[in-house]
Amino acid sequence: MKIVVCIKQVPATTDAKIDPETKRIIREGVKAELNPFDTYAVEEGVKLRKRFGGELITLSMGPPSAVNSLRETISVGADKAVLLSDRALGGSDTWATSYALAKAIEKIGDVDLVICGKQAVDGDTAQVGPGIAAHLCWMQATYVNAVSDITEESIIAKRMHEDGYDICEMKLPAVITVVKGINTPRVPTLKGRLMSEEVDIPTWSAADIGADPEKIGLMASPTRVVKTNPPPPRESSTIKITGSSEKCAKELVRELRLRSIL
Amino acid sequence: MEHHIKNKIYHVEILPPKQAVTIEKLHEGLDGFAEKYNRVMDDGRCACITDNAMGLLAFQGTEVIEELKLKVNPEQVMIHLNTFHTKENLDEILESCIRLGIKYLLVISGDGSDRLPKLQPSDVGATTVEAVTSVELTRYILKEYPGKFVIGVAFNPYEPEEHEFEKLDRKIAAGATFVITQPIIEKNAVVDKLLENYPSMPVIVEAWMSKKLSLLSDAVGYEIPEDTVFDPLATLGELHRLYPGCGVYLSLLGFKYQIDKLEGLWK
Repeated sequence: MKIVVCIKQVPATTDAKIDPETKRIIREGVKAELNPFDTYAVEEGVKLRKRFGGELITLSMGPPSAVNSLRETISVGADKAVLLSDRALGGSDTWATSYALAKAIEKIGDVDLVICGKQAVDGDTAQVGPGIAAHLCWMQATYVNAVSDITEESIIAKRMHEDGYDICEMKLPAVITVVKGINTPRVPTLKGRLMSEEVDIPTWSAADIGADPEKIGLMASPTRVVKTNPPPPRESSTIKITGSSEKCAKELVRELRLRSIL
Repeated sequence: MEHHIKNKIYHVEILPPKQAVTIEKLHEGLDGFAEKYNRVMDDGRCACITDNAMGLLAFQGTEVIEELKLKVNPEQVMIHLNTFHTKENLDEILESCIRLGIKYLLVISGDGSDRLPKLQPSDVGATTVEAVTSVELTRYILKEYPGKFVIGVAFNPYEPEEHEFEKLDRKIAAGATFVITQPIIEKNAVVDKLLENYPSMPVIVEAWMSKKLSLLSDAVGYEIPEDTVFDPLATLGELHRLYPGCGVYLSLLGFKYQIDKLEGLWK
């Protein structure tokens, strides 16, 4: 089985700033990290590859520095990684990005399954995974929190939604986007981290993947950001719980559960 | 552990390199770790290696020791082990300890973060609790690896006293055989009570070796002003005088300026 996990390098901050002119995220001077949701996609890829054999390749479109996030995926178990980086791809929205990633997946060839995190924490669109499936004309399941079975021909996935969940059986090749609860991402080992530095990660250009220049970059992106606002800061509040120790403890646990902290 | 106290062997905290750094910084961190570790070994002291301290992702002490092929004297290494691991990872660490000959563990609940998994009660065979603490972890280690480890636990004199002693009783019942306190900088009534209530238990008091005393604010539960003047070496000397029967754990020891001045301080 050949699995591709698409990942994104995002600003390592919850205080993301947006350029008021270009309406794009300011990346300069901000530390970057692997999109937290993608760590679950990588872990699922590692687990499936371990269980069923085959090859796990991670793929990212971004600036040259995104190679560091790809190395992180190697350090936790990916076999290979590919960086898609070209000025011509700059400014791509989710549609143009998913087109470019789909072209790269075609170039990798014989891919059975593509796994993405449910969304990136910088853009929060959750559109790239479904976009890849659309460009490739493959089946897809979003918000997957369990892969219960997989064969050479099909995959059975549990897909979460507001009212419960769906059990989806899809023919392969397919695309899934995964949510936080699907697994516990492993932490890189020192051996893995040092080894990842030795791995050669190729950089592909738009021409390398045979992308149509009319379908990539800012000009080919149908999305127009009209206005952006930073989200309101989270409000903090204090609750005083009184009564016996037992009553207070119960009430505290209830409050923490209501806020999904416990 | 009595041997450490009797022979005036300092416990020196060493932090392994952090995860989120460039490869150049990682190599610098590994070199720095090896230098500190070897110095502690050469001085005949005990290296105490933290486990994702403050919830910040770092490499494990055991994997660093193995990767750098550092020498282990079982009497001179202590590994911190907290509850923020997967079961697989926990067992890997414990098996590495056995392979390396490390027997001293400081078992703590620890600080978590978004990137750190938390042990589940079922991972450690606990059926009556909702969350794994150092009690369940201690019990698990001693049950699964009998005779392999000597386990110490933490004692926080800044927590509500009754609760902290009740917790300590449970830790001891689980199998802990020595105690390390949170940092103290002067005579502490709760530590005095600890020594009085558990006369046969080896107690190691933690000495704060950073000049920045304000960093202790979180531990003590009140704000220490940033400009507080603090002399760590003088305080350490005072702790030896106040607690002559205790071992001493040195946190945030300066390897450039302080380590050479330790000689002769513990008389």
